[in-house]
Amino acid sequence: MIKVTIDGRDVELEHPVTVLEAARKAGIEIPTLCYFEGLSPFGGCRLCLVEVEKLPKLQTSCTLMTADGMVVRTETEQIRAARRSMLEFLLINHPLDCPYCDKAGECELQDLVARYGPEAGRFAEGKRRHPESFDDPIIVRNMERCVLCTRCIRMCSELQASYSISVTGRGSHSFVEPFSGGRYDCEYCGNCLTVCPVGAIMSRLHRHSYRPWFVEKETETVCGFCGVGCSMVLQMRENSIIRAIPRRGVGFNEGLLCARGRFGYEYVEGGEELTTPLMRVDGELRQVSWEEALSFTARRLGDIRDEFGGGAVGAVASGRCTNEDNYMLQKLMRFVIGSNNIDSAARNYYAPAQIYLERMFGQGITANLIPGIANSDGVFVAGGDPTAINPILGLKIRAVWRSGGRVVVLGAPGGLKRFVPYELIPVPYSEEIVLSAIVGRLLDKNPPGGANAALEAKLRGLRIPSDDELGSTGVSPEDVVRVSEDLSSMSTPVVVIGPDMVQRRRASKSLFLLGAIAYLTNARIFLLADRPNYQGLLDMGCLPELLPGGRPVELEMFRHKAEEALGMKVPEQRGLNLFEMIDGAESGRLKALYVMGENPVFNLPDGVRVEKALGSLDLLVVQDVHLTETARLADVVLPATAWPEKEGTYTNLERRLQRVRKARRGKMASYGREDWRILADIAGRLGMTKTYQRVEDVWEEVMHVSALHTGLGYEEMDGGRALWPYYGEPLRGMEGDFTVEGLDGLPEVPAPERPYLMIERPLYHSGTFSRRSKALLAIQPGPYLKMNPELARRHGLTGGDKARISNGRGVLELEVRLDDDIPDNQVHVANTFEGFAAMRLTGFGTDPVTGALYIDDNTVRVEKVLR
Amino acid sequence: MERFLLKNIDSPDSAGIGEYLRTGGYASLKKAFGMEPADIIAEVKAAGLRGRGGAGFPTGMKWDFASRDPKFPKYLICNADEGEPGTFKDRPILEKNPHLLIEGMVISAYALKSERGYIYLRGEYPHARAVLDEAIAEAYEAGFLGGDVAGSGFRFDLSVHQGAGAYICGEETALIDSIEGRRGQPRIKPPFPVNVGAWGKPTVVNNVETLANIPLIVSMGAGRYSEIGNPECPGPKLFSVSCCVERPGVYELPMGIPLREIIYEHAGGIRGGRELKAVIPGGISTPVLTPDVLDCPMDFVNLPKRGSMLGSGAVMVFDDTVCLVRVCWRAMRFFEHESCGKCTPCREGTGWMRNILERMEGGFGRDGDIELLQDIALSIMGKTFCPLGDGAAGVVLGFLRNFSDEFMYHITNKKCLAESG
Repeated sequence: MIKVTIDGRDVELEHPVTVLEAARKAGIEIPTLCYFEGLSPFGGCRLCLVEVEKLPKLQTSCTLMTADGMVVRTETEQIRAARRSMLEFLLINHPLDCPYCDKAGECELQDLVARYGPEAGRFAEGKRRHPESFDDPIIVRNMERCVLCTRCIRMCSELQASYSISVTGRGSHSFVEPFSGGRYDCEYCGNCLTVCPVGAIMSRLHRHSYRPWFVEKETETVCGFCGVGCSMVLQMRENSIIRAIPRRGVGFNEGLLCARGRFGYEYVEGGEELTTPLMRVDGELRQVSWEEALSFTARRLGDIRDEFGGGAVGAVASGRCTNEDNYMLQKLMRFVIGSNNIDSAARNYYAPAQIYLERMFGQGITANLIPGIANSDGVFVAGGDPTAINPILGLKIRAVWRSGGRVVVLGAPGGLKRFVPYELIPVPYSEEIVLSAIVGRLLDKNPPGGANAALEAKLRGLRIPSDDELGSTGVSPEDVVRVSEDLSSMSTPVVVIGPDMVQRRRASKSLFLLGAIAYLTNARIFLLADRPNYQGLLDMGCLPELLPGGRPVELEMFRHKAEEALGMKVPEQRGLNLFEMIDGAESGRLKALYVMGENPVFNLPDGVRVEKALGSLDLLVVQDVHLTETARLADVVLPATAWPEKEGTYTNLERRLQRVRKARRGKMASYGREDWRILADIAGRLGMTKTYQRVEDVWEEVMHVSALHTGLGYEEMDGGRALWPYYGEPLRGMEGDFTVEGLDGLPEVPAPERPYLMIERPLYHSGTFSRRSKALLAIQPGPYLKMNPELARRHGLTGGDKARISNGRGVLELEVRLDDDIPDNQVHVANTFEGFAAMRLTGFGTDPVTGALYIDDNTVRVEKVLR
Repeated sequence: MERFLLKNIDSPDSAGIGEYLRTGGYASLKKAFGMEPADIIAEVKAAGLRGRGGAGFPTGMKWDFASRDPKFPKYLICNADEGEPGTFKDRPILEKNPHLLIEGMVISAYALKSERGYIYLRGEYPHARAVLDEAIAEAYEAGFLGGDVAGSGFRFDLSVHQGAGAYICGEETALIDSIEGRRGQPRIKPPFPVNVGAWGKPTVVNNVETLANIPLIVSMGAGRYSEIGNPECPGPKLFSVSCCVERPGVYELPMGIPLREIIYEHAGGIRGGRELKAVIPGGISTPVLTPDVLDCPMDFVNLPKRGSMLGSGAVMVFDDTVCLVRVCWRAMRFFEHESCGKCTPCREGTGWMRNILERMEGGFGRDGDIELLQDIALSIMGKTFCPLGDGAAGVVLGFLRNFSDEFMYHITNKKCLAESG
């Protein structure tokens, strides 16, 4: 126990901390500029100087560790004079352009000068000049205002681990600059904006358009971009979002955001939102009243149900909609229309992977805490770049590296490139062989202990490839040994599984092998999720085979429980999944499809086929914020409110329930209605008697119906207690009930002449929403055809050229961008930008075991477009 | 006095290993290998050697701290970033007697159980670079460096890392940052480099002259060594004497020699027989003194009593033709240019003081400028991250304390006292 006296107050400390931390703990505020909680101490600003008895000089409290018996004074005349001097020094070269500096009002320098003075300056010479830089589309830097606290640099290198900015020059001509020169060309997390105490690094989004005191309201909510679910604060003025900022101490993202979260919010007020319902009249979508649209939709759904049965109707749920929205869609389908045909784009990989892993290990196997990753001593990543799909989760992996842990990535490491000791990039579709070899080595090294008999039985039947058989993978036997050694040296490992490991033939085997690696190394599993609420929609029962709470609909006991809880009937047979619904639409078996917050025509592979299938439906209802590619085909389009315009909950990839809060309301809000409200209205017109006034009413029902969510109200969520396992009952006893396809075989590795078209998952964009965000478009305005220089050379291409890719499904013309990190014989294109639906050019099938989508027949001809 | 450090430098081949061996070189190394590492550290402690880089920290104590740290590897770094105006005392060792330094480093490394050493050389010493590279190659060739030093089984590798011209990299933690490939800026202490230095490992950073003293201590023994010069901080000391003297140059003299002897006996007195006006005793960052301190012994103990410091032992002598406002301004230009920018008072304060001094020197001084300068210097003093800022403030305070009349004259008459006199 350490006892120190600060300003006459006795402070007892368990562990030695800095004097500053000890003082703050005791409620004594010491002014600082360069100190920032969570960043390494710097000791440069000299504002936190304090007197310490027996030490002749003033000491910086941010760097001085407490020692037993230390007597500290934090606010004496000597100290005040010193602080006044430091502030006078800082103001020498500070432009004092506060009247038009956006920081005024929340400027730490301004606040400190107001508190300590000096009241007048004595500096009579010319100030240092340095032109304001507008080279960057998003971030403006004014280095005349910089106080060189280096918080931005420490943020960029220590927490973001992007290492994009540094001090250039020396002395008072030191400036913070991006390494790339004018533009940042960094990850655009904007976390440097959070820490800048003055107006030196500012966002251009709201430049000169507001003052901090214009903020009328702050709404604490959860980011709507990916499955991490970062807490953020939306600052509002007249119902318009001024800024999205993270708040320290709120949420597990610990004050960090990514480019999408921080800058991407603009899509909700881009002016392209749907304002009224639309109905197809004489082949054209026309504006109609809500009453007209709703009664038409309900009538047509009812007619189809009555004529063809509930099974002729299907629905697509949304990973962007809340739990309440998805629950209501599920209820409409199962209990009102009588159809289990409900699925979502989570079918692409998340849902089948989740269900499969739960069958291997039990419910909740992927419910591990994201912050915990940073405490682990090793990470194995396969199937996608976490720093792009789930950026804040990616930062935790970088933190593992920073604290000396090992990061191993199977596939192109992307944003983890600087953090892996070696690269391990198999030829496309040979990953299964490499994984089998790794599992084989691990089995040799540490034979399993019998905890999971079913899994171990299957492991015994696994065909381990010989060194020769590894030949086709591009990964050497030595690499396999190295990875296995690394994996078995980890004591608290993490296995991160991304979409690419699922979207392939024999997904069950890849998942089984990854699960086996986690099992053999005792790792925690994380499943990347590129939508905010994939996990939530699964838990809400938006799956053909599972009821809310993850209960199989085909088991009578569970079905009865649900029926009892709601007093309504559910069909006994599992329904159609997303791709079976596409098939059904093609074959005419499915007559109506209700699409909520999803854009299948753009986001599913083989768009031509999907488009045709949807076109042959009797009724296509699309409920969305914008007039998407799919909505343009619809018979009825129902405008829904966007993420900051509604209340509800998201369940993130670690199964943390968090509240989404309504920030915009009144005249500036869109004319849409909450998804759940639209659905409840339609359900009411189709015979549902229950009515809902508020979103809480919907959640009440979820708590009642889903055994998982029992006792888990909004209050619990607000208290941050909605972590897995919840108060309710997880489903037990399902482990071991899984099959693996091709356990005793090895796949043929295709060697196509033409390159594969792979879908890029860009850090700066997310699905098709982000293409309406001006800020994100400024960072990445359009799609590129990314390839490595060698492939480009073979096709006579170079960066900036226009190239055409084509196959039997379509043609795209794109600008070539060279990228050394893209493996050979692949071209990467983002599936985001209007008119550039790259997914359209890929074929697909469904995996017979997991029901997952697999990408197939995705090679393209690449040729230069001659101008 | 007998020369130890610069023993042989008048010979044209003094830098070569042949000449060095011929005059008894590397004998101390062989003697050292007959001793236990701990005994060498004890000997250096007993000898009372204090670091010659400027701060005068007891070398034996520094070694003791590093050798007590259980972490390995340990690094030994020679600080040859001799960049302070007026200081050129390491240069003759580097250019003319490099094997003395190498021998000193090998013995030190053996004492510290370090297998890797660096010489961090000032960027502006290209000739020394060539000489050192050659000498290191010779030492490897002769088996005094490498996997099995002089058949002892001890391994020590040594190479030169040349700086890029920043004065701050003479500060040991900034130097380590620079060696690691970072921007050279002082680190927070504690932890000190003896525990957490280069790449987080125990690291001893010693000045060239300090390391050059080690073979001497080993060969003479602590007892005889400590009889040289002032018993409180004994040993030979290199003084680089410059500016207004008849014979500027580097002089090896016993520690504690009176300033008067250095200037008038060794450096030949004031140029042209003029009047001595001021003297900076230890390099530009030590406060200036007036002629009435000429009898002060030049060592780490006595100079502080007279309001200055021994620093690097760079004696800068100014006669009555020199304008001290101009000297002060020029010194401040140096500090402003070399301030690394890390801490507020040094980054902003040096430039502000330079601005005021520049104005004064140009005949645009104002009433109150002296008080303002004093106030700025006091605001910097004791509040900077590293000693660079304190040095800058100390220079101004020293000039104002001893020569405020001259500054006042500048303000009121818009010209130099020196020129008008």
